[in-house]
Amino acid sequence: MSDTPILSVRNIRKTYGGIEVLKGVSFDLERGQSKIVIGPSGTGKSTLLRCINLLSPPDDGSVILDGVTVEQKGINQLRAQIGFVFQEFNLFTHLCVLDNVRLAQRNVLGRSRHEATRRAMEELERVGLADKLDAYPAELSGGQKQRASIARALAMDPKLILFDEPTSALDPELTGEVVQVMKELANAGMTMLVVSHEMGFAKAAADEVIFMEGGVIVEQGPPSTLFTQPEHARTSQFLQMLTHEHHET
Amino acid sequence: MVFDTLVAEFPFLLRGLWIGLQLLAALLTLGFVLGLTLSVMSVYGHWTLRLFTLLFERVFRGIPEIVLLLLFFYGIGELIPMSPFIAAVIALGLRSTAYQAQIFRGAMQSVDDGEVMAARALGLSRLATIRHIVLPQALRRSIGPWTNEYSSELKATSLAYVIGVVELTRQASYIVSNLQGNTLTVFAVVAAMYFVVNRLGNAGLYALERKMAIPGFEGRGRET
Ligand SMILES: Nc1ncnc2c1ncn2[C@@H]1O[C@H](COP(=O)(O)OP(=O)(O)OP(=O)(O)O)[C@@H](O)[C@H]1O
Ligand SMILES: [Mg+2]
Repeated sequence: MSDTPILSVRNIRKTYGGIEVLKGVSFDLERGQSKIVIGPSGTGKSTLLRCINLLSPPDDGSVILDGVTVEQKGINQLRAQIGFVFQEFNLFTHLCVLDNVRLAQRNVLGRSRHEATRRAMEELERVGLADKLDAYPAELSGGQKQRASIARALAMDPKLILFDEPTSALDPELTGEVVQVMKELANAGMTMLVVSHEMGFAKAAADEVIFMEGGVIVEQGPPSTLFTQPEHARTSQFLQMLTHEHHET
Repeated sequence: MVFDTLVAEFPFLLRGLWIGLQLLAALLTLGFVLGLTLSVMSVYGHWTLRLFTLLFERVFRGIPEIVLLLLFFYGIGELIPMSPFIAAVIALGLRSTAYQAQIFRGAMQSVDDGEVMAARALGLSRLATIRHIVLPQALRRSIGPWTNEYSSELKATSLAYVIGVVELTRQASYIVSNLQGNTLTVFAVVAAMYFVVNRLGNAGLYALERKMAIPGFEGRGRET
């Protein structure tokens, strides 16, 4: 065990069409830690995740993954070490569940068919989809799709996984099964950075909460303090709004 | 009487049909390979490549087939001698390239951006993403529109007649001049032959489309 953070985000800036969406964001993620990012819509949360693996290259600042600077050179091998789970699942429509989980293992990691199949089965079992290997994405429920996409990320043996609102596209009755899988992952020591307003996950599994607004981190801290005694007025306003929304829906 | 002659001449019609089918296969293959290449260039290429594909498509879709045939056989054929058959393959094949490029480009653009992003996030290169994610989906979606292209190129092979390719239509006109008339009967048989080949080809392509359908989506793209 080393005590350098597994992910170090340093002063990231990103501008879209003249508007600065990220105005210098910095934070660290320790090995095995889960951090949850909350904040109003349009605040740059998704942009931040995409900057980390250079799907949207930042204009300034740096991302260091386990001591290695994430840059265009060798980006594909670096991305393979950073799992990404999308709000819209983004499973490959034309491939069955098993092939969805095998493709990048074979193509990017160069694993044998046998090894890729073995890892895929392990992870599909872990997310409860061992009986859906041959199903195609269009034949799955939203919750099953999201669990398959988590298995696809896990099978790459990533150093951390980024989640972008993994339950927002799900019907309320299906969010539970995905949150359950994520809690188990966090407890098993997976390093996770999760953009989500899912309070259940935040309270049960997050080590820290980051509140972002207007392209900056307003404050961060353990859920117990941040949720009960936020330092900033904006944070408490936002938290109040969140609880209201939850009661209404 | 006419009937006997027709039976005697039928092997010539079949030979003509065979030449026509060879021309069709060659021009569609050329159009497929080049059309797919152009469509990848126009979706993912540098702007100069995109401009090139745009111009190529404009030019070849904007000129009548018959003029292209004459241009290649008599015009370019003067500089680089080529048989009527080869000239027809190139002229009609390049035109088909323009149409097929358009089909493939539309199909590639219809592939979900989210899946492309997911593939890149997993570490697949641009090329691997095109090969493993974009093309398998785009080609499936191209089969329907491609059926039209097949039909229209089958009919276009009859135009190769004007530069002396001895395909079905030219065989028919030989027979008509030998028989001194009976134009209606002979061309009715020829029309029936084109029709049958067209239907068979379409049926085969629809069957392919159903066979390749992604489970969960079988309801789409069925022959109506
Ligand atoms: N590819 C892009 N091109 C142009 N503008 C973009 C792009 N991606 C994001 N933006 C803009 O950047 C801002 C931040 O977007 P982002 O998606 O990161 O916000 P978010 O915090 O994830 O919001 P939400 O909670 O709604 O998902 C928005 O104003 C958005 O319109
Ligand atoms: Mg977002």
